[in-house]
Amino acid sequence: MNNEEAKFILQGYRPNGADAGDTTFVAAVEQAKKDPALGEWFAKQQAFDAAISAKLAEIAPPADLRAAILAGGKVTAAGAATQRAWWNHPVWMGLAACLAIVFATAVALWPKQASAFGDFIYADAKLSATHGGQGHETSRLQAVLNDATTRLGQKLPINFEELSGTGCRALNYRGHEIMELCFKRDGVWFHCYIARIADYPMVAMTDTPTIVDRDGTSVASWKDAEHLIVVVSKSGRRSLEALL
Amino acid sequence: MPSEMFTQLVDAHYTPLFRFALSLTKSSSDAGDLTQQTFFIWAKQGHALREEGKAKSWLFTTLYREFLRGRRRAERMTALEDLGPVDADPPAPEVDVVTGMDAGLVVECLQEVDETYRVPLTLFYMQDLSYKEIAEMLEVPIGTVMSRLSRGKAQLRAALARKESGAKSKVVPFKNTTARKLS
Repeated sequence: MNNEEAKFILQGYRPNGADAGDTTFVAAVEQAKKDPALGEWFAKQQAFDAAISAKLAEIAPPADLRAAILAGGKVTAAGAATQRAWWNHPVWMGLAACLAIVFATAVALWPKQASAFGDFIYADAKLSATHGGQGHETSRLQAVLNDATTRLGQKLPINFEELSGTGCRALNYRGHEIMELCFKRDGVWFHCYIARIADYPMVAMTDTPTIVDRDGTSVASWKDAEHLIVVVSKSGRRSLEALL
Repeated sequence: MPSEMFTQLVDAHYTPLFRFALSLTKSSSDAGDLTQQTFFIWAKQGHALREEGKAKSWLFTTLYREFLRGRRRAERMTALEDLGPVDADPPAPEVDVVTGMDAGLVVECLQEVDETYRVPLTLFYMQDLSYKEIAEMLEVPIGTVMSRLSRGKAQLRAALARKESGAKSKVVPFKNTTARKLS
C-alpha cells in the first residue's frame, strides 16, 4: 500500500476512535505510525475532522422539537392502531378464510388420511419377501430393537436422516419417506416403520403403543417427539404385547 | 409500541437526526419537520423492525429517504458522480481557525458541499455510523463512500477557506445555534 492509498483509507477513520477495531484501517494506521510524513498528515486530518465534528455537535435542535415528536408519536401510534388492527387487514382476513377451509377439509378427511396411512403400512408388511435394508444405521437400530430389554413405546435412538442416507429400506408414501426395518425377538420377525410427524400431520398417534388386529396381523403404533412408529407382527397380538 | 420505548428512542436519536436533517435541508424548520416525520413513520411501522440494534440505521435511512422523496434532483446527483479527480490535499484552514469559527458558520460551509458528498460527510462527522453503515444506508459500495468523503472534505475545506477570508473583512458573530434558518 502506498501513501496515497493509505490516505484514501484513513480519511474514513472517525476522529472519536470508533473505527480502531476495524480491520480495514489496521494496515493504514500501522503505516502512518511508521512513515513520518503520512503520520503527520494523518494527525492533521484527525485534528481537522475532530474540530468539524465538535462544531457539528454544538448544533442543538429547537427546544420544542422533542416534545413535538413525543406528542405526535403518540397520536400517530394511536391512529395507526385504530385505523385497522393487523388481523383486520384484507390479506389476513383472506388467509384466515383459506385456513378455515383447509382446516375443515382436514378434519373431514382426517380419519381417512390416518386410515390410508395404516392401510399402506399394512399392505407393505404383507410383502415381507421384498424387505431387507442395509447400512450401519439400520444395523444399529436393528440391534436396539432386537435387544430383549427394549420395550415398545420407549424412546428409540432414531436418526431418520442417517437411516435414509445409509441404505435403510425406504418407502415413498404421498411424497415422503417411511423407513422400514425388520427385527427379530424370540424367533419372531417384526416389521418396524418410522415416519416423520412433520411429513404426516394428519396422522394421529398417542405416546403409548396402541395395538389393533387386522386379518390376522397385529399392529402397534405410537409416536415420540418427532416420529410416528408402527410395528407390525404376523404372529398375533400376543407377540406384540410381549414387547410392551 | 410502548411509550417508554418510543421516548427512549427519541431521546437517543433525535439530536443527531436533526443535525443530519439540517445538513440536508439547510433550514432549521424543515429539519425539524423531517426529524418529526421520521419518528412518526417509526411510530406507525417501526415495531416491525425486530432488531433493536438496527433502529439507528433505520432512522437515518428513513430520514434520508423521506428527504429524497420530497425532492427531485436525481439527475443532477448522478451527474456529480462524473466530476473530475479530487484536488490533491487542497489548502485547508488551520484547525485553530475551525475551532474559533462559529458552529453555525461551519454548518453553512458543510451545506455548501454538493449533496452527493454532503450526505456521507455529515454522517461521518456526526460519528454515529461507520463507513460500512453509511454505505449500507446509501446503498453504494464502500469504495464509493470513501471517495465521496474525500471529495466532500475537499469541498468543505474550500468552503471554510472562503468563509475565513470573508470573515476577515466582515465579522458577523452568530450566537444562537438553535432553531434558525441557515439559508
